[in-house]
Amino acid sequence: MIKISELTFDYPGRRALNNVSLTVEPGSVTALVGPNGAGKTTLMRCIAGLETPLFGSIHVGGMDVVEQPRAVHRIMGYLSDLFGLYQELTVAQCLEYAAASQGLAAGAIPAAIRNTAEQLNLTDRLRQASGSLSRGLRQRVAIGQAIIHNPKVLLLDEPASGLDPEARSHLALLFRQLQAGGMTLLVSSHILAELDEYSTHILSLREGRVLENRALQAWHLPGAQRTLRITLAAPDTRLGDWLAQRLGALPAETGMDYAQIGFEGDMAAQSALLAELVKAGFAVAAFAEHKENLQQSYLRTVATHLEKMQ
Amino acid sequence: MMNPEFKRNLWLSFSKHKLIGMPVLLGLGALALAMSEKNPDRIPDILYTAAISAFIFIVWLWGARNANLSIVDELRDKTWDQQRMSALNPWAMTWGKLLGSTAFNWYGGAICLAVATIAALYAGDKPWVIDLPALVATGLLLHASLIALNLHTGQLEMQLIQRGGLGWIAIIFTLITFNIVTNVFILEREITWWGMGIPGRLFLFASAALFAACAVFAAWRVISNALQVRTLPWAWPLFALILTGYFAGLFTRDGDTPFFVIGHAGLIVTSIMTYGALFSEPARLPDWNMLRLRQQKKDWRGWLQHLPLWPTTLLLAFGFALLPSPKVNGMGMLYSPLLDFPVGFAFMMLRDACIVLFFSFAPNAKRPVAVAMLYLIVLDALLPFFFNVAGFDALSYFFFPVGDKYGAAAGVLVMATQAVIALGLVAWRLQKAKLAGTA
Repeated sequence: MIKISELTFDYPGRRALNNVSLTVEPGSVTALVGPNGAGKTTLMRCIAGLETPLFGSIHVGGMDVVEQPRAVHRIMGYLSDLFGLYQELTVAQCLEYAAASQGLAAGAIPAAIRNTAEQLNLTDRLRQASGSLSRGLRQRVAIGQAIIHNPKVLLLDEPASGLDPEARSHLALLFRQLQAGGMTLLVSSHILAELDEYSTHILSLREGRVLENRALQAWHLPGAQRTLRITLAAPDTRLGDWLAQRLGALPAETGMDYAQIGFEGDMAAQSALLAELVKAGFAVAAFAEHKENLQQSYLRTVATHLEKMQ
Repeated sequence: MMNPEFKRNLWLSFSKHKLIGMPVLLGLGALALAMSEKNPDRIPDILYTAAISAFIFIVWLWGARNANLSIVDELRDKTWDQQRMSALNPWAMTWGKLLGSTAFNWYGGAICLAVATIAALYAGDKPWVIDLPALVATGLLLHASLIALNLHTGQLEMQLIQRGGLGWIAIIFTLITFNIVTNVFILEREITWWGMGIPGRLFLFASAALFAACAVFAAWRVISNALQVRTLPWAWPLFALILTGYFAGLFTRDGDTPFFVIGHAGLIVTSIMTYGALFSEPARLPDWNMLRLRQQKKDWRGWLQHLPLWPTTLLLAFGFALLPSPKVNGMGMLYSPLLDFPVGFAFMMLRDACIVLFFSFAPNAKRPVAVAMLYLIVLDALLPFFFNVAGFDALSYFFFPVGDKYGAAAGVLVMATQAVIALGLVAWRLQKAKLAGTA
């Protein structure tokens, strides 16, 4: 859905993006992570067509962002980290303006306002002036403005900042719904635990370069491969070979008293495997799904990168 | 469907109270004036003048304030990015902002115009057919100019601009100049333009209409670029040519060859526009790198789309400077000794542009334009003055080579040398930036 080649962007005295090439899969939720000054916001602004890169190309939905920015905007929504709202307009007027200015047909606007307000729990606030709302509610209105035209691509820069835990959880649910509807999301946030809830891909930036861009283990999707960790109460040299024979592949990681395996079966299959292990005489002390969260994954990538640099 | 930008502005500027309040207030004001006049024959005269004054206040002043804020508020409240992300085309955005932000003022203005028209019909001797359209055109000129000015200078990130101060300076300057020029030089006189005698009022109306059209066009161009719809840089030099034709027509006197007057007028216009653009556009190293890369790729369209405005009028200035230009009669108070050595003057503009670039390309440059202006004042005024007073004429001439003492060719040579030195300094700065990895 998004294809970037050799993207380079300079600020006076500083290169913000350095030869960035990447693709973002359609229907994915990509967590854009990196330290402050890594180039996350600049990358989003370039994709949104708000900044002109020094060189390189950006295609969204097959359209060149530099050549056809207005056409790209019809299929794109963007929430800036420093967003603003028209303080004197009501929430309904803010949403109507966003819908109309994104080219939605006049007849479709009332339904779009209604649906968006429902999605964001703003229905009872529609007649309220946006300037009188709390920070969290304003954030929700801004997200509503970005999604009201049902874009194919949604760019969100720190969308959860200022939201309370309940609203954050609601937002994660919304993002999963949008993804299920076929939308492609690129979400930047410093709170990696929050991105963990809905991201399918991770895109790490550091000093304007891509550190990694890969699919995450989609543990929350049905049929997806999970990692199981088996811990024995006492060392047993048979474990690795037994698992290799049983699963038809070597375990991802194995030791005398533990092993980590990729497992695609459901909970019944998992239970059957445990029963077989016990029956085979292994003293199983722990048998559980092992998840590497986004934070651990990111920190591991950064550590590897720093090692390579040294 | 109504233009969303226009509709948004209507939401912001109209309410039931305001809709009723404006005609009620204006009506009461007119009634009070009429009742205070003891001679009934004079009432139409008084109402005509009062309606025009009210129009000037409501549309010109108050409307200019609203047009000024239409951009300043977007930048300050960080809603401008949302507008740039919309799918509205530049023309829809332009007229939506231009007429939307001032819609309430035009509503009041329309009432004033209606009162003025009725009063003029009763009075019977008022030139309302020309005056009223001229008022409307001038209002539009002010509003569109402010939108273009604020967006053009918005990138400079100066507090004065972000608070709308530059717009207010422009409003006050324009209104004072307009008042003096119209009352002293135009209204009750016949204007000679390219040898034609044109009644002052008609000339004023035609001028206001011409420049209102130019201002709306400028607002559209600036908004196009802000919406990332890139344009080729022909409009700025074309406007310079229009201004040159306009002013050359005014300054042509009997005995002048139009060709010569065009050279002088063109040089004045292009110098003002070159310096204006030079000091109002951010000259950042990445922008110049973009030009360099487009040039390397032979992407001439992209190169022209990213070219700043000032080189286009600087190039025109060299063109005007090369026209044969002996002294002419008509320049009057606009005459400057610099016009006696036009090619040298064009080189001086090139040198000054390079000085601005030299400071703008410095690492961690802070307020480069202000620093460059300071150095230009020292180079062009203080040093020549000091050396002149101290009796070092040759040194004074080196910094400001005007006068017949050493001949016109010497002046050109001196300025060309300075321009070459300044170009060398810019090249050195670029080379240093390249070595530092920032270019």
